[in-house]
Amino acid sequence: MDDVRLEAAQARMLPDATARTPTRRATLHLAAGVLVTVVAAWWFVLAQEGSDVPAAGQVLDRTVDFAGRLLGVGDEATPAYAQSAKWAVVGRLALDTVVMSVLAAGMAGLGALATIAFAARSLTIGEFAPANRLLGRAAYLVVRGVHVVARSVPELVWALLLVFLVRPGVLAGALALALHDLGVMGRLGADVIDGLDRGPLRGLRASGARRLEILAYGVLPAALPQLVTFLLYRWEVIIRASVVVGFITAAGLGFQLRLDLSARRWTDVALILLVYVLLVWTVDLASTALRRLAR
Amino acid sequence: MSAAPGLVGVRPRFNRRGALTALLAGAFLASLAMVAGDELTHSGGGAAAWDLLGSLLRPDLSRAFLATVAEASLLTLGYAVAGMSVALVIGVPGAFLVSGVLTRRRVVRAGSVAAGRSVFATLRAIHELVWALLLLSILGLTPLAGVLAIGIPYGATVARVLGERLQDVPPAPPAALETAGASPWQILCYARLPLAGADMAGYVFYRFECAVRAAAVLSFIGLGGIGYRIEIALADLRFEQVWTLLAALVTVIVIVDRVSAMVRARMVV
Repeated sequence: MDDVRLEAAQARMLPDATARTPTRRATLHLAAGVLVTVVAAWWFVLAQEGSDVPAAGQVLDRTVDFAGRLLGVGDEATPAYAQSAKWAVVGRLALDTVVMSVLAAGMAGLGALATIAFAARSLTIGEFAPANRLLGRAAYLVVRGVHVVARSVPELVWALLLVFLVRPGVLAGALALALHDLGVMGRLGADVIDGLDRGPLRGLRASGARRLEILAYGVLPAALPQLVTFLLYRWEVIIRASVVVGFITAAGLGFQLRLDLSARRWTDVALILLVYVLLVWTVDLASTALRRLAR
Repeated sequence: MSAAPGLVGVRPRFNRRGALTALLAGAFLASLAMVAGDELTHSGGGAAAWDLLGSLLRPDLSRAFLATVAEASLLTLGYAVAGMSVALVIGVPGAFLVSGVLTRRRVVRAGSVAAGRSVFATLRAIHELVWALLLLSILGLTPLAGVLAIGIPYGATVARVLGERLQDVPPAPPAALETAGASPWQILCYARLPLAGADMAGYVFYRFECAVRAAAVLSFIGLGGIGYRIEIALADLRFEQVWTLLAALVTVIVIVDRVSAMVRARMVV
């Protein structure tokens, strides 16, 4: 299935034909290590952060209570999800969120397209390296480094930093999302280029193509469909995160969700959550349909 | 140049890739047009940029602060590990459910697959931090809210992806076992898991890397870790501390990436 391949590539784990069953000993060691780590982690988190964990019965009561508040049980006012005016407002915010996500995906895609050639081993330090070895290695290290940093920092932290420089709004949110996504797309794109069939590239070189020509006529046409597929797949991830980035950059569904939560307007919260989930599902469907076109 | 026989004169009616390119470019340009009037930077933006970049050259490397950074990094890792343990408790049985490998009865299988898929799709659609906000409203400010906020959506994702891995094994070995009279459990343990196991473990480690990033921003609901320290440093305009913390976050992610590559290499060889 397509999704599996995408996820696998994202995990840098394209199925390996030579994979063999792990030995029993290695599996036991791994299991013991994982168990010790998990126990230590729980202990450390509870020790550091206080262990006032509510009892199971209490949690159940509070969950039922919370669900009731979301649905507006026992509330005299008309619940938000029954008011068409509220739907119009939230719909407008959802549009902002979509615009933010499309801008983010577009900017990340363009940024990745401009940089992945420098992050691919084969084009910088491998078979198709430039004559100047030092230059190729330097470009590889710098661009890879930028991608790693961009990817390691979560969107929300990028947003926290960006609001110092950029006016809060849709564009600020899009930039924060795009920065993180550039790192992910950069890594995926470089892996796609390194995984390309070398035959056509060698053919181009043998017939006298210069490096730029190899890139334009060999690498790009072969890599683009896969890149577009990844970009569409990332769009699904971005739309999920755009709500969270909106908390900080004061745009879209996220910001309204934060306001309604702090003002305890529970049925408004329910409406935003509903529209959010519908939006994520719609984008999932749209992305799947568009990916079919890319094939 | 001659066309292949039988294809003479046949042209594709619809250029799918061209249409896709036009669609994507159109969507991007339309979005751009919607924010075109907005100003990007605010009045203090230029000065703040210089402060931020200037302090990049002198990150805070004092011993006391480095100890704080180390503790915050460990706490973030702790949240990530605890969150992933919940994700696996949900995700592994969930994978058996959504892949339908544990039953031969068609109706039961179709029902469990459909139910599992729709439940997990909803859990997955909601972002970790939105979960964190909701759980905060239910549980109050306890570390459990942070751990569950990672564990629930990640568990749903893990269930879907591991379930697909279990389904996508080569069909011959499970079929052979079935012919020999093996039960679904035996087929799972002796054919599907050995075939897909290393791949599944690799995916779990990749998810763990994502969990570290998610754990880093749990500060958003008031829990500790790297994000909490970053927020404090930003509020105090101590940009030199922000850079140290970001460097720590990048280092943790890179280390997790290396360790997972090592473990994967040991598992498949």
